[in-house]
Amino acid sequence: MPNQPGSVWVIAEKSREKIAEVTLELLGKAREIAARRGSPLTTAVLPGKDADLSAAELIAHGADQVILIEDPRLEPYQNDTCALVLEELIKRHRPEIVLFGASYRGSELSATVAARLQTGLSAHCIDLKVDDRKGLVQVVPAFGGIVYSEILCPEARPQMASVKPGVFSKPARDAARTGTVLKEKATVLEGYQSPLKAVRVVQRQPPELPLEKAETIVVGGWGVGPDMWDYLEQIAGELEGAVGCTRPALDEGWTRGEHTMIGTSGKTVRPRVYMGFGVSGSAHHVVGMKDSGIVINVNNDPEAPVFQVSDYSVIADAGVILPVLLEKIKEHKGI
Amino acid sequence: MLKFSEQQEMMRKVVRDFVEKEIAPIARQIDEEDTCPVELFQKMAPLGINGVFVPAKYGGAGLGYTEMALVVEEIGRHAAGLALGLVAHYMGVYAIMTWGSEEQKQKYLPIICSGGFSGLSVTEPGGGSDFTGQKSTGRLVDGEWVLNGRKCFITNSHCMSVNVVTVRTGEDAKGRPQISAFIIEGDAPGHTPGRKEKKAGLRGSYTGEIILNNVRLAPDNLLGKPGEGAKISLGTLGEMGRAGTAAAALGILRGCLEESVKYARERIIYGKPLSNLVNIQLIIAQNRTDYEAARLLTYNAAGLKDAGKPCTSEVSMAKFFATEASVNAAKRTMDLMGAYGVITDYPVSRFLRDAVTTIPACGTSHIMQVIIAGAELRK
Amino acid sequence: MNIAVCVKPVPDPGHYNRITINPETKLLDRKGIPVIINPVDKNAIEAALQLKEQFGGKVVLVSMAPPDAGEILKEALAMGVDEAYLLSDRAFAGSDTLATAKILAAGLKKIGQLDLILTGSESADSGTNHVPSQLGELLGLPHLNHITELSLELPVLKMKAKIENGYVEYEGSLPMVLGVAREINTPRYTTLMGVVMAQKKPFTIWGLNDLGLDPAGTGLSGSPTQPGDLLFPRHGRKAEILEGEPEAVAGKIVAILRGAGVLP
Repeated sequence: MPNQPGSVWVIAEKSREKIAEVTLELLGKAREIAARRGSPLTTAVLPGKDADLSAAELIAHGADQVILIEDPRLEPYQNDTCALVLEELIKRHRPEIVLFGASYRGSELSATVAARLQTGLSAHCIDLKVDDRKGLVQVVPAFGGIVYSEILCPEARPQMASVKPGVFSKPARDAARTGTVLKEKATVLEGYQSPLKAVRVVQRQPPELPLEKAETIVVGGWGVGPDMWDYLEQIAGELEGAVGCTRPALDEGWTRGEHTMIGTSGKTVRPRVYMGFGVSGSAHHVVGMKDSGIVINVNNDPEAPVFQVSDYSVIADAGVILPVLLEKIKEHKGI
Repeated sequence: MLKFSEQQEMMRKVVRDFVEKEIAPIARQIDEEDTCPVELFQKMAPLGINGVFVPAKYGGAGLGYTEMALVVEEIGRHAAGLALGLVAHYMGVYAIMTWGSEEQKQKYLPIICSGGFSGLSVTEPGGGSDFTGQKSTGRLVDGEWVLNGRKCFITNSHCMSVNVVTVRTGEDAKGRPQISAFIIEGDAPGHTPGRKEKKAGLRGSYTGEIILNNVRLAPDNLLGKPGEGAKISLGTLGEMGRAGTAAAALGILRGCLEESVKYARERIIYGKPLSNLVNIQLIIAQNRTDYEAARLLTYNAAGLKDAGKPCTSEVSMAKFFATEASVNAAKRTMDLMGAYGVITDYPVSRFLRDAVTTIPACGTSHIMQVIIAGAELRK
Repeated sequence: MNIAVCVKPVPDPGHYNRITINPETKLLDRKGIPVIINPVDKNAIEAALQLKEQFGGKVVLVSMAPPDAGEILKEALAMGVDEAYLLSDRAFAGSDTLATAKILAAGLKKIGQLDLILTGSESADSGTNHVPSQLGELLGLPHLNHITELSLELPVLKMKAKIENGYVEYEGSLPMVLGVAREINTPRYTTLMGVVMAQKKPFTIWGLNDLGLDPAGTGLSGSPTQPGDLLFPRHGRKAEILEGEPEAVAGKIVAILRGAGVLP
C-alpha cells in the first residue's frame, strides 16, 4: 500500500484551519484524471492539527488515500521545510502527477519542489486534460489570456501543475466514501536548520462577502469612475452579492482592494450572475470570469471586447444606467 | 540628414515615459483650470530637464540645444502651455549662463536647475516688438541700483525664483536709450507679480505682470555690462526663446498628426474606416509634411547652435514655420474630426488654441519675417 | 554590497491585442510590438538601487534574452545600475522556467560574489512566478517570493511576503534570492544624466560557451516542459443587445435577474 507509483496527487492546503477550497476543487478534477488513467487518487497533506478531521474531509471529496505528516517542525508554515518533506515523499512514493493550488504559498511551493526534482511545472492552469499520447495536457493562459497554450511534460516525472482557486468546481461531498490514511514522519528534517524564520502571520479576512462565495457579482471597470462607484456597492447590496473590479479600477484606488479584482493576476469566479459596468473585457479579465453563469455587460463602446463574452449587452454609459437600475431594483423589491 | 544619436533617442524615450505618466494625464485639467503645475516642475528637475543645457558643474545636465528641443517637443506634444513655461524658464537660465559672471553662475544656476523657476522680463505695455519702447528704469543711487517699472505678458510671473529683467539705465551719447539687464531674486522687496492674464491658449503657465517698486540691487546683480541689455535679451529671445517655441509648436504638430491618424483609423463611416476617404488622406499628408518640415527646421537650428555656429535666421525660420504650421494642422485636424473636434473631451481644440498663442510668443511671425528678410537682404 | 537584479524583456502589455502567433512554429510574431523591461523587474531594480544608496556597493543586471535586448538593458543602466550582463545564445531559445533559472544561475555564478539577488515576482507575459524560487534552489540559496517590504538591519534581513489577505513577516540573512512584488516601491524615473552615464557602463554578453553550459541542458532540449498546441479562446456566448431608454433597459435587466433567481 505505501508505494503507489503512477498515482495522481493533490497537495492539500489549509486555510484558517480548514481545507482550502482550491484543494477540494482540485480533488474533483484529479479524480477525473485518475479515473481516466485507471490509477488511484492520493492526497498529501502537510502540517496537521486536527489531522483526522482533515483526512475525513479529503476522503469525502474524492481522495482514495490521504498522507498526513504531523510534525511540529512544519509549524509555522515555511516554504523550505515543506518543500524538503514533499521532495522526499515524492521521490519515495513516485506519483505520476502532482497538482497544487496556485495560492501564493502553493505557487512558491510547487516551483521549489519542481526545481528540487528537476521536473516540469506549469502555473495557473485553466484546464487539465489527459491524452493517451501526450500525457497530462496542461492549459495555461499566455500574454494575459490572449491565447491559451498547451504545456506538456513528455519525459520528466512527476508532471506538475498549479491551478488557481475557482477554476474547477468543487465536487459534491459524500460522507459515505471511504479511503485510507497513511501517517508519515518528516524524518528528512532531522538536523535541518532553516536559514529563514517566519516571525508573524498577519491575515485579515475582509468583512465583505468574498467573490468566490457570491451568487451575483457586480463588476466595475474603468468606465464607471470614482463618482459612480458606490452604485455598484448599493446594487450588490440589494442583490446580496459582491462587488468585483478590473485592474484599471483597482489601480485608480476606487475599490475595496486586490481581493476584489477578477483576472489572471486576481480571482477566478463563476457566479450565477456576472453583471459588468464599464468593463472593456481585456483578455486577462475574461480568463477570470469566462465560466460565469449569466453574463450581462454595460459599456458605451460598441466595439468593446467584453461583448464577445456576454449573454446580454447594453451599449450605454455605465454612469447613466447604474442609478436607473438601482431604482428599478428597489422599486421591484417594494422599497 | 537629420539623425539623432543613440543617447538622444534614449533621452527622448525617457522624457516621453515621464510625460506620458505624469503630464499627459493632467494636461486637460491644467488647461481647464489654468493653473501652473509648480509641483510638476519640481518633479522634472531631478531628471535634468530644468537645466538641460547647463554645464554639470552648475547643476545642469550638461547637454545641448538639440536635447533642449527634444525635451520641449515631448512635453509640448501633450501640454504646450507647460512647455512654454519651461521655455520662458530656459530664457532666464540661458541669459545667466551666457552673460553671467562666474559668481553669478555659481550663485543662481543651481537654484534654477533644481526646481526654481526663472524667466525673462522684457516686454512692457509701451514696448514689446518695439524693444526700445520700454520705460522701466534703473538708477544708480548710493552704490545701489534702484529699479522701477512694470513688465507685462511675462511667463512665470507668479512663481519666479530668479528673474532676468531689462530696464532703461540711461542714454548713450546719441540720446538713444541705454538698456541693461539685471538678475532679481523672486522674493526681493519691491519685486512682485501684478495682474495675471487669462490666455486663450498655452494655459497652465502664469503669464502676467511683474511690478518693480523701488527694487534695490547690489551692483553684482547687473548682468553683463551697462548697456548690454539689448544684446542679452535679444540674444536670449533670438536663439533660445524662439528655438524653444519652435520645439513646443513641433510638439503640437505631432499631437495633431497622431490624433488625426488615430481618429482616421478608428472612426467608421459608410461602413469603412475614415482613412479610406481621399480628402482625409490629404489632411494626414499635410499634417505629416508640416511636421516633417518643422522637425527638420527646428533640429537643424538646434544643431547649428550646438555647433556654435550663428543661427539667428535658422531659429527665426523654424519658429515662424513651426508655429504657423501648428495652427494650420490643428484647424485641419479639427475639420477631420467633424463634430468631435469641438468636443473638449478631445485635445484637438486645445491644440488649436495653444498653436494660435505660440504666434506672439517670443516675437510675432511679423517680426520673424522681418528678421529673415533682413538677413537675406543684407547678403 | 553586491546586488544582482535579474530582468526579463517582455512585449509591452499595452500592445497585447496586436500579438499574433505563428501556428506552425508556435512562436510569437514580434513584429511591431515594442519590448520593455518586465514592469515588476523595475521594482526590483529600484529596491537594489535603494540598498546601494544605503550601504554602498554595486548593482549588476543579468538578463537572459535575445541579442537585440541591449537597448532595454541600457535603460536599466540609465536608472543607475552599474553593469549589465546579457546571457544570449540561440541554444537558450524555448527555455522553460527551470532551464531559464539554470542559465541565470550560471551567469550569476560567473559574475562572482553576490550578497543579494532580486527579481520581479512574475513576468508580464507568462506570469508563472517560478523563477525566484527555482533560481534560489539552483544556486543553493534561501529564497522568498512576493516580497512587499524589505529592510536590511545588518546582519538581519527583514521581509514581508504577501499571502491572501495579508502577509508573513520573515527574518533571514544574506545571501538570498528574493522575488519582489509591485507594492514594494515606486521605481524612480530615469534621468537625462543617467542616460549619458549608461553609455559608458560595462555591458557584457555571454553565450553558451562563456557560461560553460551544455546545449542539451538549455533551451527547448533542457526544458522539462514543452509547448504544445495553441488555442484561441472561443467563448460561444451570443450577446443579445438590450435596447431602449435607460428605464426600459433597467427593466429588462431586472427581468433577467429574476429569471436567474438572484432577485425574488
